[in-house]
Amino acid sequence: MVEDMSAFTDEVRGFLDAHATRKPGADAFRWGEGDDRVSYFSADPPEVEQAAVRRARDWQRVRFDNGFGWLTGPPEYGGRGLTPLHDLAYSSVEAEYDVPDTGVLSVVGLGMIGPTILRHAQHAVKERWLPAMYRGEAIACQLFSEPGAGSDLAGLRTRAVRDGDSWLITGQKVWTSVAHLSEIGLALTRTDLDAPKHRGITAFLVPMDAPGVEIRPLRQMTGGADFNEVFLTDVRVPDDHRLGEVDGGWSVAMTTLMNERATVGNDGVDTVTAALAPDRLAALLAATGTADDGAMRARLAELLADLAAATHLNNRAARKLRAGVTPGPEMSVSKLTYGRNLTQAAHLVADCLGPRVIADTGEWGTYAWTELLLATPALRILGGTEEIMKNILAERVLGLPKDPSIDARTPFREVRQS
Amino acid sequence: MTDDTELDDLRDALRDFLSARSGEEEVRKLMESEPRFDPAVWAQLADQLRLPGLAIPEQYGGDGFGLVELGVVMEEMGRALLCAPYFSTAVLAVQALLLADDQDACARYLPDIAAGRVTATLAVTEREGSWDPARVATEAREQAGRWVLTGRKTFVLDGTTADLVLVVARTAAGPALFAVDRADLRRRPMTTLDGTRAQAVVDLDAAPAVLVGQPGAASRIVSGVLDVASVALAAEQSGGARKCLEDSAEYARTRYQFGRPIGSFQAVKHTCADMLADVELAEATAREAARLHDTPGFPAAAAAAHVYCSRAYLSVAMENIQVHGGIGFTWEHPAHLYFRRAKSSQLLLGGPAAYHERLLDRLGI
Repeated sequence: MVEDMSAFTDEVRGFLDAHATRKPGADAFRWGEGDDRVSYFSADPPEVEQAAVRRARDWQRVRFDNGFGWLTGPPEYGGRGLTPLHDLAYSSVEAEYDVPDTGVLSVVGLGMIGPTILRHAQHAVKERWLPAMYRGEAIACQLFSEPGAGSDLAGLRTRAVRDGDSWLITGQKVWTSVAHLSEIGLALTRTDLDAPKHRGITAFLVPMDAPGVEIRPLRQMTGGADFNEVFLTDVRVPDDHRLGEVDGGWSVAMTTLMNERATVGNDGVDTVTAALAPDRLAALLAATGTADDGAMRARLAELLADLAAATHLNNRAARKLRAGVTPGPEMSVSKLTYGRNLTQAAHLVADCLGPRVIADTGEWGTYAWTELLLATPALRILGGTEEIMKNILAERVLGLPKDPSIDARTPFREVRQS
Repeated sequence: MTDDTELDDLRDALRDFLSARSGEEEVRKLMESEPRFDPAVWAQLADQLRLPGLAIPEQYGGDGFGLVELGVVMEEMGRALLCAPYFSTAVLAVQALLLADDQDACARYLPDIAAGRVTATLAVTEREGSWDPARVATEAREQAGRWVLTGRKTFVLDGTTADLVLVVARTAAGPALFAVDRADLRRRPMTTLDGTRAQAVVDLDAAPAVLVGQPGAASRIVSGVLDVASVALAAEQSGGARKCLEDSAEYARTRYQFGRPIGSFQAVKHTCADMLADVELAEATAREAARLHDTPGFPAAAAAAHVYCSRAYLSVAMENIQVHGGIGFTWEHPAHLYFRRAKSSQLLLGGPAAYHERLLDRLGI
């Protein structure tokens, strides 16, 4: 087994040496040098974003054409039929190389939608879309949340009505990352108003260029627009693009969400992680004249301990995975912690910077932190709010009883809505 | 034991032993008696489980295991609130001897410790409770080729029962470590917030002492001891915290109010989820730090584990009382025993002011 992996690792190195360059050795951090942007959301202008998306698609195609695009996927759809361990091994080697960020493809599409299609879609859809997704030709988005269905996702109201061999979908989706860049979207729809909320939902794969799909950017509190609203008006989707059974969409959604919780919060965003390294924070205290301030030092020590704890938890989960054990509560705890730690970090930094974070002096590495500061409220909400994550931990891990709910047994059309 | 199964076996054996020999009734009896441990249980810990020598190298009669195994033991002892001089003997004193670069001292003391014949402790702290050897007032003088120590040590763990007391005292070359026999000390027990961990005032009045290591070496030795002790204590804290979490979850599942289990109310449920997060992170921090022993990242990881686990255990022990409500505030309920242990452990190695600076120091900040 160990030998197998080293042979694989050699193969990965051979591929990367031929198609990419190694990252230059990291220079020691110096205050005032380099890019001072610390952003969780990208908020890039459209032309910059488009160029980044092109690079991501190109790199994913190179990976795929060389057998590294979908290591764990079944060979009949273009995968290599390898294990999650190979995935881990590949990522850790690739991290040594300077390659384009493929997050636009991987976070939602390959990380969440791909596994859902593989598990629930009909053969024709798998054949049509899976190789395209893993070759970087099809970006996928998640058409789940609605203005009236956030934490209570099963309360969604977008309707799908059967019309011969196809369905007509009408409704509104919100908080849709990468919708404006996507070829396909996985939509949850209401197909039976008389069944209780979980039992009247059906999932479809919607081509985003279909007539009736309208995408509008949604500007979030940071000022940028990293999400979209998606309006669906009589969008026609063939029945073979249905995932799972009619009215059986909730279990499809669960597959997606399980993969979401495995994705959010485990690695974090590189620029943010780098900005919170101990030497960077120490330099910030020194530059802001707070290096000898006892209160700030105490907060810094607490923060660094929290960040270390989160790293340890992630390492432990990764090691379990390598040993073939499914990580337990680590993933949910990790997500919960990530939001808290970044919030704490952003406020510690801001408090050190003082006036320089409320008005831009033009000084390097000061006002730039507002981007992270303004992003942190999202980290307690996206991918499952803190409150929902805590319910899940308490109910699934500690075995605490569920809240007695009325709406889970009531026909959906009778459930009170805001 | 690199194998997780072997660690699990160790954990299981210990949990069985401790549930038989250190149940709540036993703990409550010992925490109000002198000495605050049962010599018969200590003998069994040594003879049956070979625990005092667990992390002592084989050349000195121990089993030569590392901090990972020691961590498993500390987690279980923390869970059971075992009253025994284990932390003082097997962690503080053993590490001080091992870090002193003094083979004679190791050969003289460690085999007896490993065999369970001798308990030991490390006396650094004085009136202010500082673990900084530079602030030690106790003085060592050399008289006719022999050392004698004079001063008062305070907050000495298991100080009234330790057979061997390793004392940090000032010399002309800087603070140094000395071994003092129990017969040459006067000591009295202190009343403690946490009755399960004994502390003492130890008086040295020209007490004959044997130098361990070099004069001036104590700062380095104590610094190294604190790194290992931080991880061992973190493990003990995470074990205690997990027990509190389990007790709270059990109570939240079975206590009915308003016609439903209190754990179905989100206010209680979320408290329990927060406790779970604290416990998972504390355990990961303590265990991962133990794995880093003898690597360059160890001192920082150890200091971070102490910061994290101190806060997490205290928080979980407090919330454990809150989840239990009134019953949790009674003397009869064990929740206060964990609260006492948690608060006392947080302050044991200097408390927040010291451990924050220790972490920043280990990171070069």
